[in-house]
Amino acid sequence: MKKANLLTEYGALIALALLFVINVATRGGNFLQIENLRNLVSQDAAVGVIAVGMTLVIIAGGIDLSVGSMTAMCGAVVILLVNKLASSGMGANVAILLAAVGAIAIGAIAGLLNGFVVAYGRVAAFVVTLGGLAGFRSIALVLGKGGEIRSQVSPLQDFGFGGLAIPFVKDAAGGPVLFYWSAIIFIGIALLAGFGLNRTRFGRYIVAVGANPRAAEYSAINIQTVRLAVYTILGALVGLASVLVGARMNSIGTGSAGLYYELDAIAAVVIGGTSLRGGKGRIWGTVVGVLLLTLISNMITAYHIDTNWQGLVRGIVILVAVLIQRGKKEDE
Amino acid sequence: MEFPAVRALDGVSIAFEAGEVHGIVGENGAGKSTLMKILSGVQHATSGSILLNGQQVTLHGVRGALKLGIAMIHQELNLVDELTVAENVFLGREVTKGGLLNRAQMIEETDGILKQTHASFSATTKVGTLSIAGKQIVEIAKAVAVDASILIMDEPTAVLSEPEAESLFELIGKLKQRGTTVLYISHRLAEVCAICDRITVLRDGSWITTVEAKKANPVELAGLMVGRPITDFYPPKAPVPVSKPVLEVENVCGASLSVRAGEILGLAGLVGAGRTELAEAIIGTRPMDGGHVLVNGKKCQIRSPKEAKKHGIAYVSEDRKGLGLHLSLNVIENITMANLRSYGDVVLSRQGERSSAETWKKDLDIRAGDLEAAVSNISGGNQQKISIAKWLETKPKAIILDEPTRGVDVGAKREMYNLIQRLAAEGLACIVISSELPEIIGLCHRAVVMREGKIMGELKDEELSEEAVMRLAAGVHAA
Repeated sequence: MKKANLLTEYGALIALALLFVINVATRGGNFLQIENLRNLVSQDAAVGVIAVGMTLVIIAGGIDLSVGSMTAMCGAVVILLVNKLASSGMGANVAILLAAVGAIAIGAIAGLLNGFVVAYGRVAAFVVTLGGLAGFRSIALVLGKGGEIRSQVSPLQDFGFGGLAIPFVKDAAGGPVLFYWSAIIFIGIALLAGFGLNRTRFGRYIVAVGANPRAAEYSAINIQTVRLAVYTILGALVGLASVLVGARMNSIGTGSAGLYYELDAIAAVVIGGTSLRGGKGRIWGTVVGVLLLTLISNMITAYHIDTNWQGLVRGIVILVAVLIQRGKKEDE
Repeated sequence: MEFPAVRALDGVSIAFEAGEVHGIVGENGAGKSTLMKILSGVQHATSGSILLNGQQVTLHGVRGALKLGIAMIHQELNLVDELTVAENVFLGREVTKGGLLNRAQMIEETDGILKQTHASFSATTKVGTLSIAGKQIVEIAKAVAVDASILIMDEPTAVLSEPEAESLFELIGKLKQRGTTVLYISHRLAEVCAICDRITVLRDGSWITTVEAKKANPVELAGLMVGRPITDFYPPKAPVPVSKPVLEVENVCGASLSVRAGEILGLAGLVGAGRTELAEAIIGTRPMDGGHVLVNGKKCQIRSPKEAKKHGIAYVSEDRKGLGLHLSLNVIENITMANLRSYGDVVLSRQGERSSAETWKKDLDIRAGDLEAAVSNISGGNQQKISIAKWLETKPKAIILDEPTRGVDVGAKREMYNLIQRLAAEGLACIVISSELPEIIGLCHRAVVMREGKIMGELKDEELSEEAVMRLAAGVHAA
């Protein structure tokens, strides 16, 4: 019984540790290289930021399928804004900052729209955000005339590969190893969301609305406001994630940016032990889920496995995670 | 003449004769529905036997009962709206010809039955387009189509208008002539006396009497249905201090009432009388239909429980598991749920929440070992205390307790009565919704009786008796 609880409660973490050990045992030094470990955290930081927001939405009893398309739309806005502002004579860093704020605002508005229809239109979140999935991608494509939008402001990419120097570590050439901003933002957002979920009034309302919306309403909670807020927060985080994507690539391919992010984010949330039924979940689990998925794709590259297998492996991991979760329900 | 006979419930025997309309009356929880469930094959009797035409039979589920000619028409109609009348009538026993549906025959047979009922629709009408009364006729047609010899009707007129009820009675008369036995369950005593041949009264799961309908009258029946001695189960009532009304309800969904500080007002009536609906309109989860609510004499706008809370009105739902509590959350989280702002505008004080929960635990004697355990693992009585604590947290002026002792064991019931008395003594205006008559009589200073969404009357002091409440609740007047 105790063993089963440990597995159901910390299954994802145990799996991550297990894969870690396997990697250390088979790849040793290569794997433990500080650059490689850093890459693990930063590689999917954009998906990670979105997954953290998705965790809140799912705990509140919702779902958002539109985040991938929204990433492309917000990303297009970032690049267009940066180019426009910089060409109007503004300093590059100010232009980047303003463009980022713009993208976050656009994301928040898109999320608000999703939330509004879900909360007040009483349409199933699945359907509403399926509409967003189609619609936001279409807006992105219109903005990019169906193709890629390139940034003409090189400091944008400097931001993408910038970060804080990790102390006491030098790379092969003797230079500092940077801990990327994207990873710092991912970790910071996760910590903030974790605190918000567990220690604030709003966090408690999110759980209450997801666990039993009618009981929440009868407890004098404005459930519509809570629903509206979680989708808006997720939208803003998607905007933030789109800045990370745009900065890393120095461009946004409007047809390909953010593709399948919704699936990756939901997968990370589920693997992390958050119930798709809502009312129960944890941010740290989602972070573990993101890292687990990243590590898996990392391993597929490192072991020279045909990358076409990647989808199957992910699928199996998701299914196993859900099966373990179901076991947890029967325990209670 | 053959006597289809049925023996059931607590060593009690009731014999139903062929071609009779047999009324079955009793309070909520008197055992009517259990009896009917056993007879229609939904439930198995733990002891005793059912004899049909003198032969012992075993009912294997609803289908088994149907095979033996016993059909039940439920309060909630079991029809498929998307299908036609004929398709519903023959659902599950379709007539086929060479593996294909024989529509023509099914429609013809159904029309034949409908003709006898003066139905205004035909076999090919979609059931979804029919009125409730029409659907009831379809249900009856279903029973006739299988040649049921025993037809059980549970509150058939509850949803019908006067003329619709009249045509139902006419149909029952016709069935009776065909030799069908009709078991007729209803709270409408006048109606039962008018259309039945004999009437059986149940109380507390046992048989009280079976009387000839011709010799029975509604007032006498109401007396037979209750008539249980009130023991000192209830704490003595404290006098209500003279004060102005705290909560006044004016014409909300057509109902008006008021309650003073320190007063316990009972809201009596049968299940479905509209009491919960009235309470929900007061707290804003249902439209008020033009009425309004006054707190301490001031008109309030209430459109949600949140606004009700703001004006000091608390509602403890009868549906503890669905509306009253978050079962997956722990005791502390549930107790502070409606009053979280007191523990922090943004960041919550865990310490504050815990000590507050500890205080309520001691004060209301909530027996929960671990305050961080999910409330789903806690007994009904203690869950009820938690949902009351949740609302006392908000320091309300008036509290509406909907069936506060439902699903609570006897010991916990008594505690609940003491608690309600105490709340009133502390100056809270209390409204207690209860379907249990002794509770209304024993606990409340005053009672308002509802029936079909309307307030039928108000009883206080010596007028407050179980019979008087039952008469109002069932809509009969003392001769």
